[in-house]
Formats: sequence, structure tokens, C-alpha cells
Amino acid sequence: MTGRLRVVAILLTAVTVQVTVFEEIRVSGVSVELLLLVSILAGFHGGPERGAVVAFCAGLLHDTITATPMGLHALVYAPMAVATSHLEVRLARSTRPFLAAGLMVAMVIGVLSTMLVGGLFGLHGVDVERLARTALLASVMSVALAVPTSRAVRWAVTGGLPVNVDVRGSGVELRG
Amino acid sequence: MAAPQPTGRSRPTLLLVIVAALTLLTMQFRGFGPLDSFQQGMRDLLDPVRSVSESAARPLRSAWLGVFDYDDLRDRTERLEKELARMRGRQLSSEADGELLKRLMGEVGIEYAKLDTVVVRILGTPPGNSSSHTIEVDKGLDDGLAEGMAVVTGAGLVGRLEVVDRSRSIVRLATHPAFRVGVRLVGSQDEGLARGGGASGHLVIDAGIRPDVQVAIGEVVVTSGGRSRFPTDIPVGRVIDPDAGADLDREIIVEPAASLEHLSFVNVVLDQRLADAGPLERG
Repeated sequence: MTGRLRVVAILLTAVTVQVTVFEEIRVSGVSVELLLLVSILAGFHGGPERGAVVAFCAGLLHDTITATPMGLHALVYAPMAVATSHLEVRLARSTRPFLAAGLMVAMVIGVLSTMLVGGLFGLHGVDVERLARTALLASVMSVALAVPTSRAVRWAVTGGLPVNVDVRGSGVELRG
Repeated sequence: MAAPQPTGRSRPTLLLVIVAALTLLTMQFRGFGPLDSFQQGMRDLLDPVRSVSESAARPLRSAWLGVFDYDDLRDRTERLEKELARMRGRQLSSEADGELLKRLMGEVGIEYAKLDTVVVRILGTPPGNSSSHTIEVDKGLDDGLAEGMAVVTGAGLVGRLEVVDRSRSIVRLATHPAFRVGVRLVGSQDEGLARGGGASGHLVIDAGIRPDVQVAIGEVVVTSGGRSRFPTDIPVGRVIDPDAGADLDREIIVEPAASLEHLSFVNVVLDQRLADAGPLERG
């Protein structure tokens, strides 16, 4: 299976799981943000360029299933993927709890940004308490799914391709 | 953990996808039809999968609610029992009530009960965490529904249809901050524009009512009709704060007539003008 087909498979699986299983499992009305998680992990594993494209597609799919204006989630997800990819270089040798904490922060920022942009476009009022509650709950639930999702996303975005890391400023290229 | 880093090309790629996202957003807000059709087609494609998933998860959801939301369920049962008792009482005194209703209807000129409606079941909140003050219902285009149609209960206005797919729709509740409805104060016959009050759970009339108009607490507010997308004389609510001391920016607070919490079924008012209109006419 080519890399592009793998990415399509992951995105379609994620969107199907999001609208079925994770819509049924809501805690205080908040559900998992699987497509945001996939976007962040795509940036982490796939680098900024591939991460941005995967995140853009994930955002468009999210807009489609949630009936939000097309491009709204993509506007947030792509920068999130790129930002995470830059962090990846710095966190390459970090421990798992540290990575989980970083992912948690990225998820909170992603959910908050999406809701704020939604507020700007009149989808809902900006209610600080609701924003905070939704961002925290969605992030905790999503981070709980990080390990299997991370494996699947890594398989999709790096599968069959040479894996190079150019650690900027050091002149060192790592091969994985 | 290693990752491919095609450094140097990330900025143009990011700029490109941001521009693409903004372009799509602009096209959507300008009512570019194919985008709506694409989104609707995708949702319709996923609809059978969602229905199967909902059916499969129903027993689990019931168990979850039983364990974690027992108090809420008990409150809801008590409320429904009271409602049932009230309805039975009403039935027994239907003649007296009928007379009273007739008098009230005559007073405000309401033809509300005669509207042609479709009963829809509430499925819950729409997918995702991005929207609030919206609910998803189990009927759509196949049942004659169209975007913009008013959603009501026996008590009054609930909201309007925001997104209509083949077999599901999303309702924007009257308390949504972006909800707008033309209203008339029954006492003064003044007309204004009300908007959803968001988290407060009220509506706010913030345009059209003159500062010198006497508005009483408890005064009935109904839809004004006319050029509005809502039929005339649907009860909206009662005034709870007339903001009598205001100079120019008068904000009259209205408590919705229909309870927007714990709804199970609502009625969609069928409006042939909206069913026949294209997306642009619906606004």
C-alpha cells in the first residue's frame, strides 16, 4: 500500500470511528477529538510538510461531519501539525510521560483554538467555562488513545519511506 | 523516534493550506453550492454507519446513564410524571381550558395551533465539540424538511433548522448567540429583533423597541412574521426584565416559552416557501 493510500485509510477510519464510537462515548457532553489527535501525530511523525497536508485533510473531514463551515478546522489543524513537527525535533529523545504531557498541551491548544475560531465565525458564544471544560475533557480523553493512534499514524505517514531527521543547527542527520 | 523532516519547505506548504482553508471558508459563507452538497453527501454516506452504531450502543448508553446519570434520570421521570398529571388534568377541564385558550388566542390573534407540522425525535447533540445550543433530530430532506424552517413545541418556539441532510437535521436553538427572530410584544404591539442569550438561557430583544414603550414583566412575546422566516404569532416567551431605565440601548430579557432542556420530541413547521427555495433564498 502506498503512503498516500495509507493516509487516506487512516483518515477515513478516524472519521468513521469519530462519528460512531466516540459520538456515543461522551463525558459531560464532550467527545474525543480523534481527528485533531491524528493531525498532531501526523506532524510529529511525518514532519511539517506532510503533517500540514494530512492535518488539512483531517480538518476538512472534521468540518464535513460536524457541519461546520468548510476550512474552519483545517485552519487550526494544519498550523498545529507544523508546530508539533518543530517540537518533535527537540523532543526526539524524551521520555513517554514527557511526550504525553506535550501532547496534552498541544491538544488543549488545538481544541481551544478550534473553539475560538468557531466563536469568531458565530458558531457559538465564547463561554470561558465551557471552553476550558471542553478543552480539558476532550484532551484527556484523546491523550488516552494516543498510543494506538500514534502507531497507526506513524505507519501511515512514514511507512515505506526513508526516515531522515535533519537536526537544524547541528549539521547532524539522523537516519531511523 | 525519528521522523522525516523536509526542512525549508514547511512554510510555503503551511501558507498554501491556510490560504486554501480561508478560500474554502469564504466560498462557504458566500453560499457556494457544491461545497454544501459535498458535505451533505459525505454525511449521508456515513449516516447508515451512524445509525447502526447508535442502535448497537443504545443498551450500553442506557447502562451508562443508569450508573452515572441516575439522579438526572430520576428528575426527568418525576418531571414527566408531573407533566402527564397536568395533561390529564387539562383533558378533564378541556372545556374550560378551551374557552380560556380561545380567549387568549383572540387576544393575541394567534393561529399557531393551525400550523402544519412534522414531529421529529431528538437524537442528541451533533457530532463534535465545536457547536453549542444545537441539537440533532431524526428527520431530514426525505420528510419534507428544509433549512430555515421553524422548530416548535406545544409551548412555543424552540429554534430553526440549520442544516438539513437526507435523514437527519441540526436545529439551532433559540438561545444560540447567532439566533435572530423578529418578535412582537403582545401588549404594546411594538416589533423588534430578538437574539439568543447564549449561556444565560434567555432571549434578548435589543433592537426595534422604542425606549419609551411601557413593557410589563410577564408580557407575552410572539414572532412578528412579515418578512421574517418564521410564521406569525408563534409564542416566543415572556418578558422577565423590561429594562425600563435604559436610554438608547434597551435590552429586554425574555424567558423562552418552550423549555429547551430535556426535550425528547419537537415539531418542525412545514413552510412551502422554504421547501421550494434554494440555499440563497433561505439566507
